[in-house]
Amino acid sequence: MLLCVDVDFPELWEEMLDALDAVSPLIDDIRPGLAFLEMHGIAGDVRAWMMQARRVLNGFGSVLRLGAGPNKIAARAAAYVADGSICEPGSECELLALLPLTLLDIEAEVVERLALLGIERLGDLAALPHGPFVRRFGTAAARWHELARGIDRRPFVPRSRAVAIEASIFGEGRAVDEAQVFFALRMLLTRVSADLERCGKRAGALHLALELEDAQTCTFDVPLAMPTAHERTMFDMMRAKLEGATFESAIVGLRVQARQLEEGGEAQALFGAGDFDPQRVAVTIARLEAMLGESIVRATTREAHLLEDRFVYQPFVCQPESKHPEFVGHPERSRRIVPQLRLLEVREIAVELRAREPAMVDGQAVMQCVGPWRIAERAFTISPVTRDEYDVVLEDGTFARIYRQGSHWYMRGVYE
Amino acid sequence: MAALALSEAAVHARRKAFEALKSELSAKASLPSLPMEGTVATAIPELDRLLAGGFPSGIVATLEGATGRWSVAAGLVSAMTRRSLVAILDDGALYPPGLADAGACLERVLIVPVRKALEVARAADILLRSRICRLILMPAIAVRDSIWARLATLAHRNGVLLIVMATRAGAALSAAAELRLHCALERIIMRGTHGLWGGFAGFELRVNLRKHKHILPGRQARVRVGEVSDAALR
Repeated sequence: MLLCVDVDFPELWEEMLDALDAVSPLIDDIRPGLAFLEMHGIAGDVRAWMMQARRVLNGFGSVLRLGAGPNKIAARAAAYVADGSICEPGSECELLALLPLTLLDIEAEVVERLALLGIERLGDLAALPHGPFVRRFGTAAARWHELARGIDRRPFVPRSRAVAIEASIFGEGRAVDEAQVFFALRMLLTRVSADLERCGKRAGALHLALELEDAQTCTFDVPLAMPTAHERTMFDMMRAKLEGATFESAIVGLRVQARQLEEGGEAQALFGAGDFDPQRVAVTIARLEAMLGESIVRATTREAHLLEDRFVYQPFVCQPESKHPEFVGHPERSRRIVPQLRLLEVREIAVELRAREPAMVDGQAVMQCVGPWRIAERAFTISPVTRDEYDVVLEDGTFARIYRQGSHWYMRGVYE
Repeated sequence: MAALALSEAAVHARRKAFEALKSELSAKASLPSLPMEGTVATAIPELDRLLAGGFPSGIVATLEGATGRWSVAAGLVSAMTRRSLVAILDDGALYPPGLADAGACLERVLIVPVRKALEVARAADILLRSRICRLILMPAIAVRDSIWARLATLAHRNGVLLIVMATRAGAALSAAAELRLHCALERIIMRGTHGLWGGFAGFELRVNLRKHKHILPGRQARVRVGEVSDAALR
């Protein structure tokens, strides 16, 4: 049995949820003002549960409606009909039949469309033939139809408990060199790591706040490659992030907070002896990024006409080797030695033509030439491009890709 | 005087014999070389034969020449991404679809954007120390001799193959590198006629071994760099 708690003005919603923990430890927080409590296994009957819920929420001064039912839609319908109503199992359809469509939390436009078709109550919706209704209104309509008939397949998702794990150090002097900061940081991370282990949790990210002597605060968000409670890993990541940072005055306070907390220990691959360590990769990437001030990337290819549009760079994300499905079981993927194009910075070149083909490029004779290949990107582009591309071998052995755009010639790259 | 003249003649004779032996050994293209352990095989059989199994790991190697060096490197990247991560210090000229066409898994290629010589050296240093990649490709840079020596030591200590791409290696890099290969364009292979109806099918490279710890320098391999595929280039 589920208990629906519907509150009109939920200013202190989180506090109300914390108070409801006294009624049931399993609370599905749908949105501010609406929650369901799983009452299976709780001592007492529905009346007693409702009385207890009223007692714990009494001090908040909000208008409260409670309802009970075998699933979410039934419990909510009961709360909607009248405060303190109970929907017994088997009577869902009867209860829902006279209620408005807004109870399904669907868009106002859809409600309006249904109203134009004469469907204003859940009973009207439940009476429609399932197949034609779903075909007309899409796959989401299948769920509405089920809900209107009192069938609710939405899972009960208990809210996670907010556990704050942090450590700080203030008012114990000032740090002017990095060794002092790192020493203090290590001490704080030891505490954070111990707290994480005590709670059986792992942190997916760390947040560091540094208070400076001139009353400024610098903050750093440090994502971890894999959630961990390992102190050394957290320290390495934090230190890598701080390597490129400079501060205008001495540091007088530090606060480290563990974020994105997850349950349980770290995943270990059973046959992953040869895997690279994602944490070590993440630390290295953080150090490189701190040093270069740019992201370390990986490339993905895509279909495009222009050479320079055929790939995009994304931040490098490391996965353990065993999680790459592409290569597992396919060790001999086709390998070919292919000429590699090197994209030079585009520069204008002087080209002399003979029989409408490039004969001289920047004063060098063209030994061989193939092309042109017309590349035209007109549709759906802000700046349309039309160019003719050629591959040429020059007398000094350079094997290059050149192109003509308008009346100008450009060097695009060389094959190496 | 006679003794001195005799000794000079003997020295001369020895020198001639030594030169004859040296030229004979250099000329032997099929000099049997035993496969070495701990080598990183490339995707190029001719090159693997030349290097007795592939590139030794834990060294600084150079790929030199104007044409073909990146094609050889792409074969190596393709082979290495099967087993580990590869890092490329990119000066902005990298064309990733070419690597993908060579069979490399781009998901395992860290592309580190570098602009200045010092950034290249520092990035290589960080990557070598971290041991996250077994192969690092970097452009040749003008830095102090001691930096090359340090990178070579780090590569050796951490078992990482550091390949420096250079048109021509300088003295300091040549001294630090344990393996030097020079690629030269031998000929272009055409498909069809020239112009619109033709196309480059690829090219043939002559790869010269200029320096190796265990193999006599001067040996060569001819490498055919495959089809310039329509999909990849047009």
